[in-house]
Amino acid sequence: MQVWKRCEMKIFANNLRLFWQGTVLSYVALFAWFRPVTYAASKVLMPLAQIIFFTYLGSYATGKDSVDFYVIGNAIQITAVSGIFGVTFSISGDRWNGTLPYLFGTPANRMMMFFGRAFMHIIDGALGVVIALTWGALLFGVDFSQTNLSALGLTILVTTISTCGLGLLMGCLSLITANVMFVNNTVYFLLLIFSGANVALDTLPPWMQTFSQVLPLTRGIASARTLISGGSFAEVAPLLISEIGIGLLYGWLGYLLFKWFEIQAKRNGSLETV
Amino acid sequence: MNSIEVKNLKRIYRATIGVIRRTVKEVIAVDDISFEIKEGELFGLLGPNGAGKTTTVKVLATLLIPNAGEVKVNGLDVVKDANEVRKHIGFIFGGERGLYWRLSGVDNLRYFASLYHVDPEVSKKRIPYLLELVGLKGRGNERVQGYSRGMKQRLHVARTLLHDPDILFLDEPTIGLDPVGAREFREVIRDLQSEKKTILLTTHYMFEADSLCDRVAVIDKGLIVAMDTPSALKRHVSDLSVVEVETFGVAPKVVDQIRELSFVDAVSVRDQGQRQLILVQTPLGAEAVPAVMSALNGMRVGRVTVREPTLEDAYVRLVGGKE
Ligand SMILES: Nc1ncnc2c1ncn2[C@@H]1O[C@H](COP(=O)(O)OP(=O)(O)OP(=O)(O)O)[C@@H](O)[C@H]1O
Ligand SMILES: [Mg+2]
Repeated sequence: MQVWKRCEMKIFANNLRLFWQGTVLSYVALFAWFRPVTYAASKVLMPLAQIIFFTYLGSYATGKDSVDFYVIGNAIQITAVSGIFGVTFSISGDRWNGTLPYLFGTPANRMMMFFGRAFMHIIDGALGVVIALTWGALLFGVDFSQTNLSALGLTILVTTISTCGLGLLMGCLSLITANVMFVNNTVYFLLLIFSGANVALDTLPPWMQTFSQVLPLTRGIASARTLISGGSFAEVAPLLISEIGIGLLYGWLGYLLFKWFEIQAKRNGSLETV
Repeated sequence: MNSIEVKNLKRIYRATIGVIRRTVKEVIAVDDISFEIKEGELFGLLGPNGAGKTTTVKVLATLLIPNAGEVKVNGLDVVKDANEVRKHIGFIFGGERGLYWRLSGVDNLRYFASLYHVDPEVSKKRIPYLLELVGLKGRGNERVQGYSRGMKQRLHVARTLLHDPDILFLDEPTIGLDPVGAREFREVIRDLQSEKKTILLTTHYMFEADSLCDRVAVIDKGLIVAMDTPSALKRHVSDLSVVEVETFGVAPKVVDQIRELSFVDAVSVRDQGQRQLILVQTPLGAEAVPAVMSALNGMRVGRVTVREPTLEDAYVRLVGGKE
């Protein structure tokens, strides 16, 4: 019994380490060509650019009192950069590096290998949102005095996780098709429109609204808007539960696709076709 | 005991060609191959381009599912017990791909150590040891993108030894290495051999196979055409001598004419920049020289020598002098 327990512990510790190392290294591999200063600058300035652009554009078109709407929508939308592009690059990197045969030749737990690729982007994405909201407060006077900040923090985390879930699925597609950038850009712009970041959902035709409901981000943005305008945690809890559910569903589909890809590649001998 | 058993292995690739009228083309990469490798043995797999060597190695390394046949590593089936097999094997496919270019050498090794479940305490000591073994001491913290091709290949060797596997598959490990690097690499292989590791090596360098391998199999078009010790294979051609003629710009047609001479067994041409070395295998030895010279028909000819056959000559005869 004791022995069995120690063995289980060891496997668990191993998997945790694999997850962590994959996380850190895939992140380093992705951003190592940035010098820390460049990285920090892009991290601070990119949200600024997105917020300014869409907030001025949006409030010019619809009137001044809607500033909060655009700031919050676009701030949360920032998660899609890490979630979709970051995660996809972390996975497609294995294709470009030709590391897939070597990865699949190891006895490593595929789930840890796979989800480890996304973890750091969750932190990265959440940080981006916080920076964007800070810009919103500084430049556009978004008021957080009525906000349940811990609930907002949870909203940011949950939304980032769910976009990363979609990113994992997109990342897997990048193993199968070479047109990653095309697919990613399309998804990114679909999110920009359908998540409600820049367009009030109730102004969209019904079929588009249905589509919005199956995307990550939609409920996260709604939740953040509710919380910042003084809503309670109880009000947004159902939104958050659905948001994380959607994210996990996409992540899980991604994982299934990843497993399928491995089996297919071993059957067809297509492991290193770029 | 046998570390590796391959029984009637067959692997077909299907490739769809054409965009509009799609047709499926089948390539029989490995037709019917059987061999066994004993524990601690260094076994060479030789054969011309496209013979099916890499395909065989991929099946052994659990990266490709065979269409037919049975492949066992340490008694474990490579399809059914793939994950267990992976713990006992290491493998390299020659060339520089397969590393994270933006990570340092050490970080690459760290990541693969975790993929192989190497204890962190163990890998902390093992990584510097391996870097030294493969001659990358002091370069480990540099990013792989700045490594030369040879350095990347050395890193691959370190990578595949992280979990101290007792079976190694090395597919053209010395391809693209400079002569000194290749020699150092062969020393590493000899060290591994003396550690009683079972090694399957594929190579196009016959002297390499001759000097390292306990046994070799020559495969051609997915079939084994000979399997024996290097010296036994050389004995196959011991009745022959090799006439080497140095030429300057010989036409393929002329080579074909020599090949058709009644006393000629096999002909191969080795390009050496401006010059080509024509290698003619014949039982006549020196007596064949005049006839070969007249086939060359007054062309400018350099050095002409007659020598004993090597493993390469045995190989050329087996695969029909195509290389
Ligand atoms: N992924 C693949 N898809 C389709 N055909 C393939 C694939 N890999 C190899 N082949 C074909 O299978 C045959 C055997 O290839 P393999 O790579 O095993 O040869 P090899 O003996 O390793 O040759 P080389 O000495 O050139 O490395 C070749 O005809 C090759 O074109
Ligand atoms: Mg090959």
